[in-house]
Amino acid sequence: MQRRPRARVRRKRTEERSETFPDIEISQQSRRSRGPEHTNPMSRSLLHLPVLALVLFTALNTGCAPDSVDEPTYVAPPGADFMSQQAPPRVSRPSFVDPRGPRMNPNEIPGRYPFYWTRAIYSGWGRRGWGQSWATDYPKGDQQFLVVLKRLVRLNAYDWDNAIRLDDPTLRRFPIIYAVEVGGMDMTNPEVEGLRNYLDAGGFLIVDDFWGQREWDVFEYNIRRVYPDRPIVDITLDHPIYSAYYDIEEVKQVPAIGRAMYPAECYGCVPHVKGMYDEVGRLMVIINFNTDLGDAWEWAEDPGYPLEYSTYAYEMGANMIVYAMSH
Amino acid sequence: MERIFEFLFKYPPLFFEQGDFTFGAPTSVRLWLIIAGLLGAGTVASYTIARGKSTVTERSVMAGLRVMLLAVIIVCLLQPSLILSTVVPQQNFVGILIDDSQSMLLTDENGISRSSFVNDAFTSDESELVRQLSDRFALRFFRFSDVAGRIDSPAELTYEGTHTNLARALDVAREELSGVPLSGLVMITDGADNDNQPLAESLVSLQAAGVPVFTVGVGEETIAPDIELGRIEMPRAVLEGSSLTVDAVITQMGFGSSTVPLIVEDELRIIAEETVELGPDREPVVARIYFELEGVGPRRVTFRIPPQPGERVNRNNTRSVQVEVRGEREKVLYFEGEPRFEVKFMRRAVQEDENIQLVVLQRTAESKFLRLDVDDGNELEFGFPTSREEMYRYRALILGSVEASFFTHDQLQIIADFVSERGGGLLFLGGHGAFAEGGWQGTPVEEVMPVVLGPPTDDPQGFFAEVKVTPTQAGLAHPSVLLGAEQDQVRERWNSLPTVTTVNPISQVRPGATALLSGSGDQLALEQIVLAFQRYGRGKSIALTIQDSWLWQMHADVPLEDQSHEIFWQQMIRWLVDGVPEAVEAVTDQEQVEPGENVQLVTNVSDSSYIEVNNATVTARITSPTGMVEELPVDWTVQRDGEYSVEFRPLEEGEYEVEVTAERNGEILGSDKTYLYTASRDDEYFSASRHTQTLRRIADETGGLFYTPEDVSSLPEDIRVTGAGVTLVEELDLWDMPFLFILLLTLMGAEWGFRRIRGLI
Repeated sequence: MQRRPRARVRRKRTEERSETFPDIEISQQSRRSRGPEHTNPMSRSLLHLPVLALVLFTALNTGCAPDSVDEPTYVAPPGADFMSQQAPPRVSRPSFVDPRGPRMNPNEIPGRYPFYWTRAIYSGWGRRGWGQSWATDYPKGDQQFLVVLKRLVRLNAYDWDNAIRLDDPTLRRFPIIYAVEVGGMDMTNPEVEGLRNYLDAGGFLIVDDFWGQREWDVFEYNIRRVYPDRPIVDITLDHPIYSAYYDIEEVKQVPAIGRAMYPAECYGCVPHVKGMYDEVGRLMVIINFNTDLGDAWEWAEDPGYPLEYSTYAYEMGANMIVYAMSH
Repeated sequence: MERIFEFLFKYPPLFFEQGDFTFGAPTSVRLWLIIAGLLGAGTVASYTIARGKSTVTERSVMAGLRVMLLAVIIVCLLQPSLILSTVVPQQNFVGILIDDSQSMLLTDENGISRSSFVNDAFTSDESELVRQLSDRFALRFFRFSDVAGRIDSPAELTYEGTHTNLARALDVAREELSGVPLSGLVMITDGADNDNQPLAESLVSLQAAGVPVFTVGVGEETIAPDIELGRIEMPRAVLEGSSLTVDAVITQMGFGSSTVPLIVEDELRIIAEETVELGPDREPVVARIYFELEGVGPRRVTFRIPPQPGERVNRNNTRSVQVEVRGEREKVLYFEGEPRFEVKFMRRAVQEDENIQLVVLQRTAESKFLRLDVDDGNELEFGFPTSREEMYRYRALILGSVEASFFTHDQLQIIADFVSERGGGLLFLGGHGAFAEGGWQGTPVEEVMPVVLGPPTDDPQGFFAEVKVTPTQAGLAHPSVLLGAEQDQVRERWNSLPTVTTVNPISQVRPGATALLSGSGDQLALEQIVLAFQRYGRGKSIALTIQDSWLWQMHADVPLEDQSHEIFWQQMIRWLVDGVPEAVEAVTDQEQVEPGENVQLVTNVSDSSYIEVNNATVTARITSPTGMVEELPVDWTVQRDGEYSVEFRPLEEGEYEVEVTAERNGEILGSDKTYLYTASRDDEYFSASRHTQTLRRIADETGGLFYTPEDVSSLPEDIRVTGAGVTLVEELDLWDMPFLFILLLTLMGAEWGFRRIRGLI
C-alpha cells in the first residue's frame, strides 16, 4: 500500500473534525471524570446519598398528583368551528430522535451488524475499586468513539457500547475487544482461559490506558498467565498498522482530560505501542502503553482538549480497527 | 431350421431373399387364369350339382379342398422359378480381413482362443472353408489392428496389435481391391473397436461401391467372471495440494454384489484406497475416490483393482491417467465494500496455501481502499479494475458486501464478461450490500448469479436470520463442501458447526443452477439457499449467501483445532479457479498414445482481453523423453477463431513435454505446457467381449451377412449368391419343390380323410 503524503492526510482529518465534532451528541456522562481521579469511590457514594434521596422523594411525589384539578373555563368565540376546520391536522412528533439504531435486545443473537465495538470486562483491583477498572470511560468513551469512527471509516457498526466478560463464550462472536486500565487487572482463571481461547481462535485485543512500571508489571503478570512465553515486542513505525487507514508517522503520548500540559501520568513515561504475535507471526494483541487513547476519544469534543491528541487517538483507533478486521 | 427350409423349398432362404420370383410358362398369365377359373368353377359346380347324402357344408369343404388342389397343380404348370444373380466362379475377388490384435488371444470359457478359429479355418490345409472359397473366388488376405495391410497368408498373423480400428481396416481393404471385381469382404474379428473412429463414413463408401461385408464374430458375448475398470473421470490439470475427486466406472460380470478394493497409486506409491460395492451383472457402478497429489509436474496416476479369484481377464483391472500438477499461484481478487471480518478470516484460511494469492481490495471509505497482497504499488492503484485487461489478470473474483451502484455500468459489464468470456470464477458473498439488498437487480451481473433475487426487504432494520447450514443431496457429493470428512460423515460434520447469519433472504436457485448447501432457522420462512453454483458462459458463478462464515472459526462451539473453516475456504477458492482457461491453452487429443501413433495438438490463442487471435505465430516445442527437441509451427485451423492445430508423431516411449508459445507482431501473447505419455496400451483387454451388434450393423448396412464360427460354413455359397463383381443370371426351377408335392398329397389326403370321417365313401 502506498503511503499517502502527510499533508493531504492532515488536511482531510482536519476537515473531518470540523464537520464531525459539532454534531456529536454528548448525552451521557462518563462514569468518572479525570478531575476527582483520586477520590475514594466509597466516600463519593456517601456524598451522593442525600441527593439520591431528594430525587426519589420528588419522583414519588410527582406520581401522587391530586385527583382533580380545576380546569380553566374556555368559551369558543364565534366562527371557531370554521377556523378549526382550516387548521392543519395535529402531527405528533417525538421530542427527540436518537440517530443511532436500537439497542440490542439482551436475548438477541449478535450479528446484525458486521462490527461491534466491544469492551472486555475483566476482574481487577484498580484505582477505582474492585472490579471497576475495566469500565473506565465506559460507556461514553465507547459510544463517542463509534460516532466518530463511523464518520471516518465506512464501517457498518453497532452504534452502542457492548461489554462482555472474558469468560463469557459469547465473547468469541466479537473478534476485536478493547481493554483499558489493565494496570488494575487481576483476571480469574476462567478469564485467563477465555482470553487465551479467544486469541488462539483469531481474536484481537486492544489494550490502552495504563501507565508506569507498576501497572506494566501488573498487566505483564496477567498476560503471562495467558501466554507465558510469547514475547511482547515494540511495534515500530514501519508496521502496516500505522498505514492501514491513516499514515501515522509518530507515536504520541495522549493525555487524559485536564493533563494537556503534562501528558505523562508518571515521571519520565514514554509512550509505547507494543504487540504480541501468534506462532505464525500474526499480530493479535496491541498494547498502547503510557498513553490514553480512550480519554481522547471520550473528550474530543471538549474545547480544552488538545486537537493534536484527539486527532492522533482517532487516527490510531481507525487504523487498529481496519487492520484488525483485515489481518 | 435353415436345413428344413432348404429341404422343403429346394434352396436356402438367402436365394429367396436375393432372387426374383417369376413364372416360366410361355403363355400369358391371363390365359392360365382363365383355365384355372374354368376348372375351379367346374369343380365347384360338380360338387354343387351332385346329389347324395352329403350336406351343403360338407360339399363346400370338399369343393374347397379340390379347388386348392387344382390351384397347386396350376401353379406347378406355370413353372415358378427364381431369377438369381450369382458370381462367376474364379472371376471375382474376396478380401478376407483378419483381426490381428491382442484380444484375439483371449480364450473363451472352453479354453479355446479366438485366434484358433482363424488357424483352423484359414491356415489349415484341410480347411473346408478356404477350399470352398478358393473354388469360387480369388482370395486376398488382410490383417488389421490399429493399422491394416495386405498379407500373403494368414500364417503371418502375430496378434500383437494393441488396439483395433475396424473403419480403417475396411477403408484399406476397399481401396486396395478397388481395381478388381470384388464380390465382398469377409471380416473375422471380435468387433471390439477401441480407436473411436466412426464407422459410418466407411460403411457409406462400401455401400456406394456395392461391396457387401460378411462379418464373422469370434469370442463370447459375455466374459464371466470378470471385473472391468472402465472410464476414469479426472481433470488433466490440477493445482498442487488440491483435493481431487475422481469417478471410476466399474462393471462386473459373474461376481454378484461383492466388494472389491480400488487402489490409487502415484508412481507406485499408494495414495488412496476405497472399497467399492459392485453392481448387478453388466451394470456399471460409479466409485468416487478422493486424494491429493503432491509435488509439481506431470504425474501418471494408476487406478487398480487387484485380480479376483477366478477372474478371466486381469489386464482390464488397471487404468492409468496422465495429470499435470500445476504449481502456479492463482490470483484471486476479493473486493469487499466495507471492513468486515470475512476478509480477515478468509485471508487467514488460505494463508498457508501457497497456490492461492488472495488479493484484497477493501473499501474503507468513499474512494479510499486498502490493498492487500498486491504484487506492486501499481496493482489496483485506482481501485476496482476499469478495463478488461486489468480484470482478466485474475482467475477469480469474490464480491463481498458491495452495492451495485458502486460500479459503473462498464465495470458491471466487465464483471459479467469476466465470467462468460474470460471463463473466470465469480463468488458472491452475502452482506448488506449484496444481492437484492445491494440493488443488484436489473444489472448485467444479476443473470450471472446462480440464485434468484427477490425484492429487497421492506423492514427498516433489514432482514436478519440465523441459519443452520446443511448440505443438500448434491452437496454431499461435491468436493467443495466435504470439509475433509469421509463421505458418510459430511452431514455430521456440518451439523457440528455453529449457526451463522444472513441478511439476504434467498430461497430459489436459477434454472440450471445447483444448490450445494441450504439453511433453516426460526426467522426463515423458506429454506435459505446458502451455497449454489452454475456454469455461465465459459466460467462459473457461485453464491454464498451467509455473511459471517468466520463464525466457523471463531465461535465458542468450534474446537480450536477444528480446521473446517480453513478447509472450506481453501476448497472453495480452489474450486473457483479450477478450470479457468489461460489466454493460450494447448491440449493433445489423447493423453496417451502408442509410439508411432499420430497426435493432434490443438492450441487456443486469445489476447489479454480474451479475444481470439487468428494471426498469431504459434510454435510448439516438443521435447522427447530422451531430450530430443523438435519445433513445429502450429497453424490456424480456419474453422474456429483462435484455434491452431498441428499433428505430430512421437516415436519414443515415455513422457513428451509440449510447450506452445504464441506471439503476434513480436509481442508474446502467452505460452502453455502440456504433456503426452507414449507407451503400449492395454485397450484390447477392455470391452473385449464379442460386439455382435457392431458386426451385424456392418453386415446389414453393406448387404452382407453376420456369422459365428458355428454357421460360417454357408459363407462361400452365400457370397456366390449375394456378392458383387462379375455375375451371371441363373433361373432356378421351383415347380419341383418338395413343398408343393407335400402340399398336393396333403390336400388329397385331407379330402379323402374328410369323406372317410363323414361316411361319404
